[in-house]
Parts: sequence; C-alpha cells; structure tokens
Amino acid sequence: MINFGIEFVPRDLYWKTTFYAIQAEKTGFNTLWITDHFNNRNVYVSLAIVSAYTDKIKFGPGVTNPYMAHPIVTAQAVSTLNEIAPGRVICGIGVGDRTTLEMVNMKPSKPLATIRESVNIIREITSGRNLEMRGEVFTVSGAKLNYKTTSKIPIFVGAQGPKMLALAAEIGDGVLINASHPEDIKNAIGFISEGAVNAGKRVEDLEIAAYTSFSVAKTPEKAAKAVIPVVAYIVAGCPESVLQKHGISMETADKIRQAIIKGQWKEAFLQITDGMVEAFSIYGTPETVVEKIAKLVKVGTTQIVAGSPIGPDMRKSINMIAAEIFPHFRSKEDRTN
Amino acid sequence: MALEKMVEKIPSSSWEATSEKLIDIVLNSPDANKMPSGLAKTILYYWQRDQLATKIGLERLLEASMIIDTEKTIGVLKELGFQELVATLESR
Repeated sequence: MINFGIEFVPRDLYWKTTFYAIQAEKTGFNTLWITDHFNNRNVYVSLAIVSAYTDKIKFGPGVTNPYMAHPIVTAQAVSTLNEIAPGRVICGIGVGDRTTLEMVNMKPSKPLATIRESVNIIREITSGRNLEMRGEVFTVSGAKLNYKTTSKIPIFVGAQGPKMLALAAEIGDGVLINASHPEDIKNAIGFISEGAVNAGKRVEDLEIAAYTSFSVAKTPEKAAKAVIPVVAYIVAGCPESVLQKHGISMETADKIRQAIIKGQWKEAFLQITDGMVEAFSIYGTPETVVEKIAKLVKVGTTQIVAGSPIGPDMRKSINMIAAEIFPHFRSKEDRTN
Repeated sequence: MALEKMVEKIPSSSWEATSEKLIDIVLNSPDANKMPSGLAKTILYYWQRDQLATKIGLERLLEASMIIDTEKTIGVLKELGFQELVATLESR
C-alpha cells in the first residue's frame, strides 16, 4: 500500500491549518508535515495544536533544519510532542530552504556533516540517552532530557543531491525526496539504494517519500496557476545539478531568488516557465495527477507527500484527493483504517 | 434573538448544505483573521467530532461567518431560501 502525506505551510491562520489537518485525518492521509520557516508561524506550536485536534494521523516538522534550530532543541520539541501524541510523531530534517536562510544571513555550511550529526543528536536525545559527542560541527557534553521519553521517533531526512540522498538512506528511517518529476525520483532512488547498501541496510526497510509540490483542481489551468509561487521557491533553492538536468541556468535561479528575497513576487513568478512547473510539481486534474503519481510509485516511491499548495481551494482539493485519487492506489479497507 | 433560536429556522434537511456554505465563507474570506480565537477552537472541536452540520455546530458557524463576512452570509442564507432567518439577522 502506498502512503499519502500532506504538507501545510503555517502561513495560514492557526485554526485554518488545524481545520485542514482534521480534514486530512478524516479523509485518510497517513502523515502530515508542517514546514519550518522563521517567517511563518512556528512549526512546533502549530503541530501542538494539530496534535490536540487529531487522533491517528502521524505528524512532524517537514522539514526543520539545524542551522536555524540546534538539533538539541529539535529533539526537545519532538519528544514533547510525542508525549502529547504518543507514537504519532515523525521528524523531518534537511538543510533547509536556501532563500529563507539567506534572509537571515545563514549559510548552510558543511551540510553532510551537519545533517549526520544532527540526526545522531536527535535520535540519542529523543531515546532518553545521555549524549557525549565531539563532532565536526556540534559538540555535546553530557546532554540528557530531564523527563522520560516515550516511543521511538522516526527520523526522515530531506534530500535532493546525490550525497545527501545516500546519507539520508544511511542514517534515516525514511527519506523525503525533494522532487516531483519521475526521472528525478528514479535517479534519487538510485542514490538512496547505494547509500542503503553501503550502510548494510535494506532499501525495502526505508520509507521513500516523494515530497512533491502538488496542485489538483478541476482544470489544469487552475492547478498550474496555484503552483507557480511554490515552483518559484523550489527553483530558487535548487542545487545546480538538478537545475542543469532540467535545462535551467543558475542565473535564472539566482534572479528568481533575489526577487523573492526583495519581496518582488510578480518579478519572481513571471520567470516561471511551463517547463519549470512540469519539472517541479505534480499538477492537473485528478486524472492527470493519478497518472503522474503512478509513475512515481512505479519507480519505487512508498509515500507521496502532497506538498503546498495542494490546490487553488485547499478544502476542495483535499476532498478531491481523497475521493478521486486515493481509490486508484488503495483498497477501500486501507482507506477506512 | 439568540443564535440558538435562529438556527431552529433552518430545517434539518438543509443542515449539511448550510454547513458547507458557511465553512466556505469562514475559510476563504480575506477577513478570516476577524475570527475570535475561542470561537475558532469551538469550531475545531465540533469539526473533529463531525458536528458542524448539527444544530450546535451551525450555531457556531453562523456566529463566525456573521463576524467574518456578514454580507456574504446573508447572501448565502437568501440563496438557500431562509428568508425568515435573513430577516431576523438583518433586524439585529
């Protein structure tokens, strides 16, 4: 069975995000991810209220980053959430969104070492152990939570480039592939498989999620229009290797990034071509989206995350996914469990 | 007249449709930030329990949609044919 996740950006009022979270649970989504950007509402406060109004759905930051939040703080936050909603918390971590980091002059330096050490810190601390470590990036001298932790928190590593994908497979319980195009996902799964084998793990034991920019609507035009702002952010923060694969120059990406940083949205969105939308999102009518998801499943994805914007009308799009997309990938029994 | 009495003017056969329309107003209005936090939490409580299309859920939705967008709420109620309720709301 394929799992379905949903991503919310807490740019919306807290009660709207919570309303949609309840809807996502009712309609049968398995996981719920809330993004972590300093300029939106706080991810853990948002997740705490979501946890209070839901009972089954798994949820977590999707993704947090160790540059804005020290991993020990992340460990503290997710283990507190896991006390509120035992067994439902998942933790997504990655290098973060380049554009937002740049706004506060943060450089995602030593990304591989930073993520490796962060995952170790989060795993050790959330397991209730006492941690002593001297890493390349972080040093922890005898850190331990003052309260008892409950169940294990699965850690998902967000990744896009080959080395990070391999590392994600090595150290993560799951991988969140930041891509939407079947070719990108297929390549990513190749690197994930290599990473898993090198670490002596079975790739089948990993949850491999395509963390997509997603927009479903009754017409392809409406779906595409809704997804353009998100695609702008993706292109702006994309590694050069991925841009090259889709024939996009670094100059164009830089231009979009600078426009976003300056708040020149129109300027940024005007640069987005149909090809970019095609490469970096899953969009269209339910029928088209089903075809696109099927391609991702075929190459080995085990979870599809419907990321922002979901669609031009969030409530209608969530219902559309449940009614017109889930049935193609799940039995009726799966959907009611 | 209290909201409780007003909602009684909506026939139970129309609760579902009314609830759907009022939810749309509340979620999609550019003035959604006018929603009082306490009322938002009450609505979430009823939503979690599938009670937004009940008398008590409709009371709270109607309260919220009147705060957020009175004009649109009146319009939707007219569209649904609840003239008596509209007259009561307009005379408040």
